[in-house]
Amino acid sequence: MSAITLRSVVKRYGSVEVVHGIDLDVEEGEFVVLLGPSGCGKTTTLRMVAGLEDVSDGELSIAGRRVNEVAPKDRGVAMVFQNYALYPHMSVRQNMEFALRPLGLDAAEVDRRIQEAAGILGLGELLARKPAQLSGGQRQRVAMGRAMVRTPDVFLFDEPLSNLDAKLRTQVRLEIGKLHNRLGTTVLYVTHDQVEAMTLADKIVVMQNGHIEQVGTPEQVYAHPNNMFVASFIGSPSMNMIPARHEGGRLRAEGLDLAVPSRFEGKLPEGQDVVIGIRPTGLQRAEPGAADAVVARVEVTEFLGNEALLDIRVGDHELIAEIPAAGRPAPGDEVSLTFDPSVIHLFDPQTGATLSR
Amino acid sequence: MRPFLLAGIAAALTVSAMTAVHAKDYEGVELKMLAIGDTSVTRLAPIVGEFEELTGAKVQIDMFPYPGLIDKIVIEASANRPSYQLMWVDSPWVGVLGESGALEDLTDWVKRDAEEIHLDDIIPIQLQENTWQGRLLAFPASGMIWHQNYRKDLYEHPDEQAAFQEKYGYELAPAQTWDQYIDIAEFFTRAAGETLAGETLDKDFYGNAQAYSRVAGAITHDFFPIMRSFGGQYWDPETGLCAMDGQAALAAADVMKRLVAFNPPDYLGLMWDIRTGYMERGEVAQSSYWSVRTVRLTNPDEAVLPTIGEAGYAPSPTGDGEPQPTMTGALSFGINSKASDREKEAAWEFIKWGTSRDMMRRFAEEGSGVSQFHKSILADPALQEDYPYYQVLLETQENAQRRIFHPFYADVEEVFGVELNKFMAGETETAEEALTNGCTKINTRLKVFPEELRLRWINDAPAAIFQ
Amino acid sequence: MIFLLPAMLVLFLTTIYPMLYAGYLSFRSYDLAKPFVPRVFVGWSNYQQVLTSGDFLNALSITFQLMVITLSIQLVVGVGLALLVTQRLPGMGIARTLLLIPMMISPVIVGLVWLFLYFPELGYLNYFLSFVGLDPIPWITSPNWALWAIAIADIWQWTPFIMMGTAAALTSLSPEPYEAARIDGNTRWQVFRHVTLPQLKPVLVSLVFLRAIDAFKIYDIIFVLTKGGPGDSTEVLSLYIYRQSFTFWQMGVGAAASFVSLIIIVVLITLFFKSLNRDQTA
Ligand SMILES: Nc1ncnc2c1ncn2[C@@H]1O[C@H](COP(=O)(O)OP(=O)(O)OP(=O)(O)O)[C@@H](O)[C@H]1O
Ligand SMILES: [Mg+2]
Repeated sequence: MSAITLRSVVKRYGSVEVVHGIDLDVEEGEFVVLLGPSGCGKTTTLRMVAGLEDVSDGELSIAGRRVNEVAPKDRGVAMVFQNYALYPHMSVRQNMEFALRPLGLDAAEVDRRIQEAAGILGLGELLARKPAQLSGGQRQRVAMGRAMVRTPDVFLFDEPLSNLDAKLRTQVRLEIGKLHNRLGTTVLYVTHDQVEAMTLADKIVVMQNGHIEQVGTPEQVYAHPNNMFVASFIGSPSMNMIPARHEGGRLRAEGLDLAVPSRFEGKLPEGQDVVIGIRPTGLQRAEPGAADAVVARVEVTEFLGNEALLDIRVGDHELIAEIPAAGRPAPGDEVSLTFDPSVIHLFDPQTGATLSR
Repeated sequence: MRPFLLAGIAAALTVSAMTAVHAKDYEGVELKMLAIGDTSVTRLAPIVGEFEELTGAKVQIDMFPYPGLIDKIVIEASANRPSYQLMWVDSPWVGVLGESGALEDLTDWVKRDAEEIHLDDIIPIQLQENTWQGRLLAFPASGMIWHQNYRKDLYEHPDEQAAFQEKYGYELAPAQTWDQYIDIAEFFTRAAGETLAGETLDKDFYGNAQAYSRVAGAITHDFFPIMRSFGGQYWDPETGLCAMDGQAALAAADVMKRLVAFNPPDYLGLMWDIRTGYMERGEVAQSSYWSVRTVRLTNPDEAVLPTIGEAGYAPSPTGDGEPQPTMTGALSFGINSKASDREKEAAWEFIKWGTSRDMMRRFAEEGSGVSQFHKSILADPALQEDYPYYQVLLETQENAQRRIFHPFYADVEEVFGVELNKFMAGETETAEEALTNGCTKINTRLKVFPEELRLRWINDAPAAIFQ
Repeated sequence: MIFLLPAMLVLFLTTIYPMLYAGYLSFRSYDLAKPFVPRVFVGWSNYQQVLTSGDFLNALSITFQLMVITLSIQLVVGVGLALLVTQRLPGMGIARTLLLIPMMISPVIVGLVWLFLYFPELGYLNYFLSFVGLDPIPWITSPNWALWAIAIADIWQWTPFIMMGTAAALTSLSPEPYEAARIDGNTRWQVFRHVTLPQLKPVLVSLVFLRAIDAFKIYDIIFVLTKGGPGDSTEVLSLYIYRQSFTFWQMGVGAAASFVSLIIIVVLITLFFKSLNRDQTA
């Protein structure tokens, strides 16, 4: 039995439909991340699960029970908000106590839970402080603590790290991961940051324009994107996309002439237009004159430490290659690059769907 | 024959009066009058153009409600440059205005023009009302007494007479004592649905209406005449201190308290005009008040009563039924002492014009306006026919006493207004407590002055105009 | 420094000089109406007269009664209305605007409006009461009712002020804590009591403070409706001061009473804020 199930769930604001009938299963104990660009409906979906927004159409179940009409408080969920949503006039302890109040626990149990959460999240020193006296990361931890003490069946997070600086973000991200490992509670987590998604998720749900584009493990969505959107959205820098044509077993574009990778042999009709997708790491330096190599001028190099990024121009297309930093060329140099055939993706330029299957 | 003769003499005298002032003598003079918006002025205000025709002086009358008017006058009097040359004066204000020197002494002018103004024809007490230390500081424009008005039609209704006789053992007639007055008030207090003079009432009918409001000391304006009718006086003639907590005052407070039950339910808020309104609409059996509004009871344009019944008039009841000097009051015109000489002369001309016997007769014939104070008018049989209360005015002023005129009158009015109102409202337990409080407050202010001065302030020297 | 000069001058002419002059007057016998009353230095006797006067103490007590009645009702109703008009319900925008109207009317006009409603015999209010079968109420002519009649008019006029301030504060509260509370399952009342109210407190304190100062000075409505009566049941401090100064013309006593009132209000405000601060730190 899934922890959360969405069946053809639609959300409309008046006549505007913003979520178009999505289906999703979140398994018990799973960490599921909703990932997508701004405005794609992640928050809306999460809020429908929380019960803060009505479901316009379709069915939403939690723990096998239809909850479309169930009040938020009866769904067994706890939510951590982007801007923490702490009660500003209450101390950390009071914030947690107030969240526990409806449960009608006795004082000892309330205290035990608060101590436990404080222990896990390192809030012990901070219990008497008010939110204004806490740093952003501390507030975030309090918000989690407040969700935790209620021991919900499902945690809902809406971009919990977006208000933190980069370093803190990494740190809290790790803490969230550890917390999940420790508590094993089902998590539905919204972000538009793919690193968060990759590092935390058991399962990533990539959304665009109110649709789900792909559901899969981080590896699946990275290595086997369903379509050009997912392919270019996941991974940084983005996957290079080059329109080309299949001619006599070769993929041709201006300044480019590659053999069709063996796994596509026999699958491509002659003369078909395709889009070649290759991640920057799939481009490798080659000796000048190597077979199927493209020769291009380096416009910019970006030094990242171990690696360097090369901006190169092939025909009309700007490509990015990621190569070992050692011995990198200088801007203006000519380089030869080969495409690693095992990581070449081909997409249908009309539908954007992958041709890899 | 006599009225015609009188009218003829009057007309002849008017002509001579008018020739006394040459037309347009006061061209360019502009007079402003600070006045009340009540009958003693409202009739005159629209016709000031006639005065300008005669003399060339322009007169503008600014009218204000009675409450607060004395404040405006006091402020006007303390200003160095007057904006009003003429001031409407209620006779009790003569003391404070006189002692402050705010009003021009009219004595010499009155003597000079005695004939023109028919001094002999004016009821003397109305002039005395306006004197301070014997000097005349204002000239009467309306001369009042405090008397009772009643529903003559009801008093004369056989059913009511019989029922009254039955219940009280004496004949229903205008009250001569306050006990009778209270009996009558009680007798006529009826709820909607009961019968009055053979007809079923569709709304409550009240036995009496008096003013109980504290606003502008309204309640004192009924209280003091009642106190007077018990023989009471304001001041102790030995010390010049407050005597308004004596036996007569207690009796008066008691009368008013006993009358409460027979008043309209909002009695505590009844101002003079609201109180007279009840009588004018014929909604009460009796109501006693100053005669300045009595004329309305005869005029169907101004009152409902003449269309549904008839008003009767009688002197105020007294404590023991024996006559007591009636209390009078005058509504008068005075001249700001700080006006220029030319303005003062023009103002005096205006006063003579506005209070002249002809003007008064004109008002009388129109059936509205002032309370008359010329003997010849009050005695005129034709007018008496129309205004039966003239006879009451005439007779009661044979033996009358002037109203309070003390420089601290405003304090008396306010202090006793509040204290009496509190007593009527039940906030003060006893009349004695209320009146003692009132006197204590007044005496606190008076005691800082030497006794000699206090005695001067209550001294009513006879008007010098008669010497 | 030179730029401050005009401001200082205005302050001096409009505030400081009148205050100083009133202070001077309060030690003198000064009867504006009666130049024949000696105008002399009288020491503390004006103050003594005020402080030992039953009328003054009565006025003080009436003022506070009225203040407590109007402020508490304005606070409760004003906050209630604010909660209502900040809901996303149809017609609330218009309701909000309409509710502001009383506040914009001059108190004298408000007094007159209510005078028409309360007026003995002719008032509309009793006319309406008679429709629902109730006996007429002697609104402004009974000492039992008059203070309430004034309170009602004042409440009618100034509740919108509390409403407006509270509504503004409400709309500036971030919505997330409420959503968190919804998910947690706290009842509406608990959320109001423990989340909304504490956050509104600073605003409510300022609003009540402003109203309290106004209530202490209430004059116009009473002047129009009852002039302090019946009896002295609605005689508030400002009326007392007015009567001392402009009915009895004892300007010195009036000035002394003004100063005593000023001191009382300053002391009370200080105590009020002290007690608030104690709450805060506790
Ligand atoms: N109350 C609302 N009324 C109308 N449209 C809304 C409302 N709330 C959200 N939307 C629209 O619904 C769409 C999805 O919004 P949503 O907040 O779910 O996006 P998101 O994926 O969370 O974006 P972000 O990453 O920027 O938070 C957007 O186009 C947004 O404009
Ligand atoms: Mg969002």
